[in-house]
Amino acid sequence: MLRYLSDRIAFTDKALKINLEPLEDAWEEFQSSRDRNGVYRYLSSVFELVSWWQYYDIAEMYARRAMCLKAGRPVDHVPEPFAAIIVCTADPKKVDYRMRSKWARALTYAAEFKRRTVSLREFMKRRGGITNAPLDLPVASGGGLQKIADAESCKFRTEGRSAGQF
Amino acid sequence: MKININESLQAYINEALYRARPRRNGTVGAPNAVLADILAKAEAVGDAMRYLDQRGRIAWKATPRLREYIADLKADAEADAEKEAM
Repeated sequence: MLRYLSDRIAFTDKALKINLEPLEDAWEEFQSSRDRNGVYRYLSSVFELVSWWQYYDIAEMYARRAMCLKAGRPVDHVPEPFAAIIVCTADPKKVDYRMRSKWARALTYAAEFKRRTVSLREFMKRRGGITNAPLDLPVASGGGLQKIADAESCKFRTEGRSAGQF
Repeated sequence: MKININESLQAYINEALYRARPRRNGTVGAPNAVLADILAKAEAVGDAMRYLDQRGRIAWKATPRLREYIADLKADAEADAEKEAM
């Protein structure tokens, strides 16, 4: 359903290419600075772009388009949107599969649980940073990410209820 | 139909709407269609970008490039004004 005028404005390939440019700039800036928090500026840009794609439920489609634009040809395998955009905008020599996967999982987790009023950096810092173990543990282990997710959702559910509902 | 525009982009949009005004005299283009056209063009040239605002709605804001450009223009204008005052 079209709720906003923005919904009628097509997101063209040209716009996609131009939207990826600030992310590439953010990556360059992160690489050239010695700031420990530089990675959050880059990841925040990735998060912002993919978030609105997810709102329209077009994240997978545009992640594929971005990969194809980057490669200049159709691409067979496209990772999930956060990872795909990291592939497209970060230097592959500096970001290996493990790091990309770690960042993508952290962003997926933030997309699920971060409040909009809280910045990505603040959210990640509160959880000990991107490289912190809980975000990095596999869900199947029954610990880490899944435990945090359960705790957070319980917390939100509790917060959402008024005293009279119990 | 609503459209949320961040204040960083509002002046740019107002200017573009003002410039588009002669075209709208008569029957060509409803205001919303003109605004949509302006936003689509601004997005395609890298002046505007969409984002999710704090209420989870799609909104538009100026790109870092446009913000930098406006800041430079402002600094130049201030410098010129200072020179003239001296």
